[in-house]
Amino acid sequence: MSGPILAVSNLGVELQRAGKTRRVVDDVGFALAPGEVLGLVGEAGSGKSVLARALVRAISSPLEIVSGKVVFEGKDILSADRRELMAIRGNRIGFIGANPMGSLDPRLSIGSQIVEKLRSVKPGIGRAEAREKVLELFGRVRIPSPDARFHEAPFQFSGGMMQRVMIVDALVSDPSLVIADNITQPLDVTVAAQIIRLIDDLRQSLGTAFLFISSSLPVVAQIAERTLVMQRGRIVEEGRTEDIAANPGQAYTRTLISRIPPIWNNVSAPVATEAEAVLKIDNVTRTYRVRRRNTFNGFNAVKAIRGVSFTVKARENFGIVGESGCGKSTLTRLLAWLEQPDSGCIAFLGKDLSQLSSRSLTEFRKSFQLLLQDPYGSLPANMPVQRMIEEPLLIHGVGKAEAARLAQEAMAEVGLSMEFAERLPVGLSAGQRQRINIARALVLKPQLLILDETLSALDQVEQAELLDLFTRLQATHGFSYVFISHDLALVRRMCHRIAVMYLGRIVELADNATLFEHPHHPYTRALLSAMPTLEDNRFPRSRYLLDGEPPSPIELPSGCSFRSRCPRAQGDCQRIDPPLLVIDGGNAAACLHMHEALTEKETADVE
Amino acid sequence: MFVLSFLLRRLLQGSLIILLVTFIIFTLLRVVPGDPARLIVGGMAPDEVVAVKAKELGLDRPIPVQFVSYLGTLATGDLGTSFVRPKSGASLGGAAFDDQTREERAKVLDLILATLPMTLQLAMVALVIALLVAVPLGTAGGLYPGRWPDKLALALGSLCVSTPNFWLGIVLTLFLSVKLKFLPAIGYRGFSYTILPAIVLAVEIVPFILRTLTVSVAQVMREEFIQLAPIRGLSRSRTIFSHALGNSAIPLINLLGVQLGMLLGGVLVIEFIFDYPGLGLLTINAVLQRDFPLIQGIAIFISVMFVAINILVDLIAMTIDPRLEY
Amino acid sequence: MTDIVRENAVPPAAVKRGATPTQRMLQIAFARSDFRIGLIGFGLLVGLAILLPLVSSIDPVKIAYSSKLLPPFPAEGWKWPYLLGTDQLGRDVLMRCLVGLRYSLLIGVTTVVLMFIVGCSLGLYAGFRGGWADAVIMRLTDAQLSIPMIILAITILGVSRPTVPAIILVLGLSGWPLYARVARSVALGERNRGYVLGERVLGASDLRIMLLFVAPVVLPPIAFVAVLDIARMMIFESILGFLGLGVQPPTPTFGNVIADARKYLLNAWWIATMPGLFMLVSLTCLNLMGSALERARNAVLRGEA
Repeated sequence: MSGPILAVSNLGVELQRAGKTRRVVDDVGFALAPGEVLGLVGEAGSGKSVLARALVRAISSPLEIVSGKVVFEGKDILSADRRELMAIRGNRIGFIGANPMGSLDPRLSIGSQIVEKLRSVKPGIGRAEAREKVLELFGRVRIPSPDARFHEAPFQFSGGMMQRVMIVDALVSDPSLVIADNITQPLDVTVAAQIIRLIDDLRQSLGTAFLFISSSLPVVAQIAERTLVMQRGRIVEEGRTEDIAANPGQAYTRTLISRIPPIWNNVSAPVATEAEAVLKIDNVTRTYRVRRRNTFNGFNAVKAIRGVSFTVKARENFGIVGESGCGKSTLTRLLAWLEQPDSGCIAFLGKDLSQLSSRSLTEFRKSFQLLLQDPYGSLPANMPVQRMIEEPLLIHGVGKAEAARLAQEAMAEVGLSMEFAERLPVGLSAGQRQRINIARALVLKPQLLILDETLSALDQVEQAELLDLFTRLQATHGFSYVFISHDLALVRRMCHRIAVMYLGRIVELADNATLFEHPHHPYTRALLSAMPTLEDNRFPRSRYLLDGEPPSPIELPSGCSFRSRCPRAQGDCQRIDPPLLVIDGGNAAACLHMHEALTEKETADVE
Repeated sequence: MFVLSFLLRRLLQGSLIILLVTFIIFTLLRVVPGDPARLIVGGMAPDEVVAVKAKELGLDRPIPVQFVSYLGTLATGDLGTSFVRPKSGASLGGAAFDDQTREERAKVLDLILATLPMTLQLAMVALVIALLVAVPLGTAGGLYPGRWPDKLALALGSLCVSTPNFWLGIVLTLFLSVKLKFLPAIGYRGFSYTILPAIVLAVEIVPFILRTLTVSVAQVMREEFIQLAPIRGLSRSRTIFSHALGNSAIPLINLLGVQLGMLLGGVLVIEFIFDYPGLGLLTINAVLQRDFPLIQGIAIFISVMFVAINILVDLIAMTIDPRLEY
Repeated sequence: MTDIVRENAVPPAAVKRGATPTQRMLQIAFARSDFRIGLIGFGLLVGLAILLPLVSSIDPVKIAYSSKLLPPFPAEGWKWPYLLGTDQLGRDVLMRCLVGLRYSLLIGVTTVVLMFIVGCSLGLYAGFRGGWADAVIMRLTDAQLSIPMIILAITILGVSRPTVPAIILVLGLSGWPLYARVARSVALGERNRGYVLGERVLGASDLRIMLLFVAPVVLPPIAFVAVLDIARMMIFESILGFLGLGVQPPTPTFGNVIADARKYLLNAWWIATMPGLFMLVSLTCLNLMGSALERARNAVLRGEA
């Protein structure tokens, strides 16, 4: 075997700001063999993206490369002249970034832009030949009807499809190395899993080497043979991915791994108990009228929520999971009564919310509170922290002095130091901001908290701390929680019962143990199979992962809306739209063929 | 097909706007002091003659009734007849009320259409000059934020926007025309008479283009797809010319549509200073002579143009950027 | 990569004090040299315009044939204290410019305040409420925008009597639509922001949300750009004066002084040129401040500082 195609030594990048310099990448060295997939793992801010760009010398002020060598195919990129650099970048080295939607000119067709790129790195290629090549690759990355999509602009693609386009963009010049910087980060789990599977296929057939960068070790573990672990700009550990996962050598790697929540091994799933209902959702629907593009007065009916029913019991943690477009956020807005359902009933403590007068609704609002996802946008930027926490009390007519006292109590309870009281939220961490939000809800003494992806902006440590806080608050105040999340691990840890949503409908509703260990709906299984984990996945991807993307909520398939992607789909699925069919123990799934599948699963395990 | 439905929608919106403009202008001119009937017959006329004239013009009816009947005539494409301007040419002063020649009044639409080409010529020349100066500088400013092209663009923009157009007109006339005999200035006797007014008008347009363009180019240059372009292997010149400029043109085109009103305001004053026989001069004279039908006609005509140009601007923007909706 | 840069972008001082975005915009603007130049120049001119006519014994409207058409300072034949010369009636050009600047500023500032208040309240309301209110207000702005401001102004002032309040009212009312549009689009954006939803969930009324939360966030950035509009309105005021539709003589304004001096352009160039230069300098200062504020605002809104 020949030498490495990429050899990095002593690479250093500095950040200069306000007269201070900070090493963002420090003394980094590694080598990459032809055709190898090398993983690079590090938390946000560890400098891995800067490193990725430094490798192709795409670093601009205030960042600066200060030392080192990046030898690619025998040539040092850092000392190459402009012409040599042009011959390497985009040609011998492909690059895929974390933001596929923003990676191409939004005005022009994706096909023409990839042709443009190919022809500017390989001037010898004719237009027709380039087009041929692009179309062929579109087929290989399984973009449906490549001829038509060639002429479409980026905004007409979904995130996952666009990431496939960017993979084509990187591979079109037959590079020997592709740097993939966090490419699955913005994607839903099943789509991300598809992309990883695709890359794995491609590199085996093309022999291209990949530097695969991610903040998640489980993601990297799915594809990389060797892995580098990066912390504060330095490579702290390097080795075979399996070894690192099984026997981490460094303390930092061990903490990284210990923060990965378990899914199947050593889990004590919260067990549902009987209690009276707090929130009752009955056959709720919500349809949006969206202006149809390019028509005079046409509207499309987007069926965001289609007949959803469930009950949340006292002191229960109820989870709602699903991928983007499944109707989670609409459901959140309905639950928080920011919007009213078109039909169906939402009853809180036995009272139908639509029947309340606006005065009693305002009063009633105190008892169900919503915590939003974005800790940065959800706080007014020019209000001191304590005043913010007094705000809900002032709205409901509590006196100034009393409000201040209660706010201070709440701050103490959520673990906010009193020195923040007069500060503005600028510069507070995401975790601190979410604590403020929790305190704002807490002062109203609610009975139900709706958490809309509340923790997804936080890192693992902050997340764990806040989950403890939630548990503590539940013990003292008897809250019920609704966790709305895309994060299956979080739901696995916290929730008693879980609903899985697909295209505006609950496809499976089950207690924690059943859902994760014996799910009935094929979509639930696909979700589980797509989860990046270091454990052995009980639902191997080769068997359970879905192809394609969900259909548009404007044109749903007839009958069962999942049938277009369902491995079990049969003739009757076209005619019958299955309701939630009760199985046992209060669990239910919306599938006509789950019993046949149950037996089939048994055999699948044996295989 | 898509274009048709878009046009239909925009034309409906546009007619609503024009209706509103008509209403606003009509009401304004009715509630402000000044009796049009007296203006027509002349200051010296006895009150009875004024009253007869008022009745003849329907000015004694309630305003809503007048408005509806005005709309009726508008619908036939008739913008009315000037109070004071004869068909032949220059306006009449305060001639005697029994002067026979006064009966021959010019049609408002004819007056507007006669002066419009002059104004369009002025506006086009000015726009070309402004674009020639501002587009290269604005683009350079956006490409190198904080460096000298940016600073130059900022300085030039601040200077131009701070220059009162009428004063600049006077000063330039004095130096370029009277002292240096470079360019003719006052009146119109050939194309060269357009250049000096056009320069003054261009000075007024330049800062807006500069400001929009530096901001939008700088913003586009920060976009991910531009940042990624060198990594994808595209050269800098290619990135700028085929991607950055096209994307920064959209705000500029939109600006031209919205600021059209301002541009026309500038035309008005400049034509007045240079005695340039265009729509602007016609407007000012109409106002000074209280020629109400003419003022009304011009306002409506301009709002029609405004609506039309904005539709055009949106069409152009849509061909540049497919994301914009028909 | 942007994460790393951004993470380090907030100046430490601002973090410690916890400055609001508005305060950060001001800090950045003050740190810029063009803003300081503008501020100093503008401050000097305004100071002069307010103080000098108070302390000086020269009357800007008093006619003195004995000292007519004196040239300005460096030219031959100038006489103290007529630094910028005198006009055809022997009135001091400097003093007339300063008084003109007073009127210009008075009208410019009041007009912008008026259109800011009217435009922003309507725009915020439209953007926040949506529905019919929005449609009606927006069609009104469309209509208003399609009549050039200056035509509207000269029409109204031409047929009625131009007084200072009338001028302010006319300019202000014809300038509000742009503010309404900007405020509306920002309000539309803010309407679905987390902090607004948060307030809704807490049970706050629309009015409370708008006044207490949305307005303080949305209005300062718009106000920054309004500084540029003061300059524009000052120019409009002078145009009206020039057309004889502004404040009437004998009160000197930039517009009517220049219009008057046109006749003497060839033998006494300074009478028309000096007020123009005076305007140019004060407006440039104002515009420098305005564009520095605008850039500072953009930097903060982009999240760079």
